[in-house]
Amino acid sequence: MVNIVINGRKVRAKDGSTILENARDLKLDIPTLCHHDDLSPFGACRLCTVEVKANGKWQIATSCNTAVESGMEIRTNSSKALESRKMAAELLYYKYPETEAVREIAEKLGVDVFEEKGEENDCILCGLCIRACKEIVGVSALTFQDRGLGRDLEEPQIEFDPNACIGCGSCAYVCPTGYVKMESEDDKIIIWNKVFKMTPCKVCGRFFAPEDQLRYISKTTGVPFSNLTTCVSCR
Amino acid sequence: MDKVAFSSWNGKIVDNRKGKVSKALKAADMKLPKLSDGKKAKALMGWNGLVMMDPKADVLSLTLNYLKEIRKISCGECSVCMIGIDKLLDMFELMTEGFGDKGILAEMEQIVKGVSEGAKCAFGQSALLPVLDAVKYYQSDFLALMKGEKKLGGAECESSVTAPCMEACPAGLDVPGYIELIKNNKFKDSLNLIRENCILPGVVGRVCTHPCEDACVRNDVDEPLAIRLLKKAAADFDIQDGGGSLGVPAGEKEEKVAIIGAGPAGLAAAYNLRSMGYGVTIFEALSQAGGMAAVGIPEYRLPLDILSHEIDLIKRMGVEIRLNTKVEKLDFNNLKKQGYQSVFVAVGAHQGNKMGVEGEDQESEGLVDGVEFLRDLNLGKKIEPKKKVLIIGGGDVAIDCARSCVRLGFKDVEIVYRRSRVEMPARDEEIEGAEEEGINIRYLTAPLEINAKDGKFESLGCIKMKLGKPDESGRKRPVPVKGSEFTIGAEMIIAAIGQSPKLPVVTDKKKLGTTAWGTIKADPVSYMTDVKGIFAGGDCVTGAATLIEALNAGNQVARSIDCYLQGGRLNGKMSFEGVDVAKQRGQGFIGKNPANRVNLLDKKKRVGGFAEIEGGFDAAEAMKEAQRCLRCYRVVVWETAR
Repeated sequence: MVNIVINGRKVRAKDGSTILENARDLKLDIPTLCHHDDLSPFGACRLCTVEVKANGKWQIATSCNTAVESGMEIRTNSSKALESRKMAAELLYYKYPETEAVREIAEKLGVDVFEEKGEENDCILCGLCIRACKEIVGVSALTFQDRGLGRDLEEPQIEFDPNACIGCGSCAYVCPTGYVKMESEDDKIIIWNKVFKMTPCKVCGRFFAPEDQLRYISKTTGVPFSNLTTCVSCR
Repeated sequence: MDKVAFSSWNGKIVDNRKGKVSKALKAADMKLPKLSDGKKAKALMGWNGLVMMDPKADVLSLTLNYLKEIRKISCGECSVCMIGIDKLLDMFELMTEGFGDKGILAEMEQIVKGVSEGAKCAFGQSALLPVLDAVKYYQSDFLALMKGEKKLGGAECESSVTAPCMEACPAGLDVPGYIELIKNNKFKDSLNLIRENCILPGVVGRVCTHPCEDACVRNDVDEPLAIRLLKKAAADFDIQDGGGSLGVPAGEKEEKVAIIGAGPAGLAAAYNLRSMGYGVTIFEALSQAGGMAAVGIPEYRLPLDILSHEIDLIKRMGVEIRLNTKVEKLDFNNLKKQGYQSVFVAVGAHQGNKMGVEGEDQESEGLVDGVEFLRDLNLGKKIEPKKKVLIIGGGDVAIDCARSCVRLGFKDVEIVYRRSRVEMPARDEEIEGAEEEGINIRYLTAPLEINAKDGKFESLGCIKMKLGKPDESGRKRPVPVKGSEFTIGAEMIIAAIGQSPKLPVVTDKKKLGTTAWGTIKADPVSYMTDVKGIFAGGDCVTGAATLIEALNAGNQVARSIDCYLQGGRLNGKMSFEGVDVAKQRGQGFIGKNPANRVNLLDKKKRVGGFAEIEGGFDAAEAMKEAQRCLRCYRVVVWETAR
């Protein structure tokens, strides 16, 4: 355990815990778009910024991926922290003005937002789908397109590897903007434009899971495929 | 060059406009990135500021071009940097179309400050700042643009990108680039990027002295990135996946090139020349290709199968390696008759230096030199372990010999070094490893005399030393302590005090020029020797140096030979020499996040075999380590004088 100070309050914090975790334990409201409790922190959206006293001076830091250190002082509601959040929200809104999730959070953070409801579901490159696919599913079918020296990209995107995807839909589940969509039609689902055959429950006949996903579970757990073809309600 | 009109370089404002000379500053005195081939710049904008050499330089075009260049490097992974740059570019367009007033400049300032403070990586935290200087100190130009009084001049610009790690790397690898690919789970793409400048990634990933890590900005926060181990991971995963190939040459060319020596320099040149389509033959004196990587580094640091695999890939591209072919006399005319229009001499430095002590010139059983010892060992010659061995020297070769002796089963291994631990040139981790394995290091002791009886080495006469004033290398000079002579008895002694090249004799009229150190004289840029068409590089030019330096020489020689054979001009490179690229204005907050570690082979398992000591990252660990990269890309844009 380490001693830290959040908004003037002395707090005992777990070693290696993040500022965001401790702030939320204190019921302090810090907005996020790219954070999920079950996934590794990533620091993409820059909406969770707080002020941290480091080397004797107050500096802006993202709370989601900054681990607490002994004696750390933190301000979650200072005007500088709020300004920094507003700037991030303003820029996100500038780029994705039609995306509802962005509009909601921007408005909350004091950005002037047009009244009409947003009609787009843009990808804001938060990386939640990539992390869910890698860390929860263990498949890594999604990656960021690489940028850097000599690899100029107009609009960076998420890359999809159809050969690795098992159609589980975790990416669609965690996507905060609705960009990743999963459409289902009776015996098939479509995700990232790939069509997956659904497996019917051998008891009730309901299509309940993509065949590729069940085969992946069978492969990783060693449970025979035939044992997996019963849906949750009939088990 | 004249004094500069304005500079905000390193955050220090010098304004010499309007005759108000605050402090005259000459561009030549400033440590600035330089254009190639002596070209002059009218102005430059880079991560560290704005410098206007020519008061009439076009600050508007420069700023716009700079924004466009940093947009290419901005990754879009955090929401402020790339969108911020996009918004600034949009605002620029509005101003160019005649919209806006002072308010738009205030908004630009706000964006630059907000992005610099809130961006995720070192690039985002620093790249936009010079734009602030332009807007602030050249406000009238921006206002004139909005009023239509000034047009964007379309100035000619050049740009360059570097990073502290890239600058420190002798071969200039795009380190943040290949780390980013690993972070994104693209190990194969990462390896391909590494190979653009480093054709022996598995070898370099094991034995490189990694100056990149010393330059890593994370040194100031916690620990440097494990850059070498990430390279090793990219190389090793590829082998695990089956190994692949290096691709095919761009198209066959008529010319052939002869390379003498299949070491890192020769192999790198061979790969690059073959990629360009040249026929390449390497003549190698030993029975094994790889040069010092094959016969100078023991297997516990570099397993032979890793090296062999990487050489095989080069051979499969069509490079011919003739083993056991010693070129003692270099007859260029004869080679030309065989179709070789150019020769690259890369024979390395494989001859051990003499200690300069009495009794050394007499052949005695048990007296060997370090490079010879390692060569015999690596080529499979049986070496009988003795009770006690002395190793003379404090470099990596001395440590390699000592640790090899431990593995061979020598009971008592002692290193004798004439200075103290601080001056020891061997790498710290190697010295620590040696100590861990029970090797005794006798500091401040110099050899005086080799004592042999009946042709067998028996003991070493030594003298104690003390440290005096620093010598030309900056290290304290060891001075003998009078009357402190003593003897150490042993059955074997290995002299590892440096090595020199053994050069082939050129039989043509014009001879290869050599230096006082016995190395070949070659042009530092073109690598051409005194003989037209014969090039030289690597240890035989520099004296014993690092593997990555030799590899880089091979890369550069290939470019140069291509220019020579095609009659082209060798283009110089933009230079960041003397520029502190690690320094960054507006350093944002970076949380501590220590480096990931790999396992080392258990100490008990090291004796009696040459199994590799150092383990590697698995994919998840490598990706986690790569996440730590701060991505300190530095962009510079120059307005060039026409």
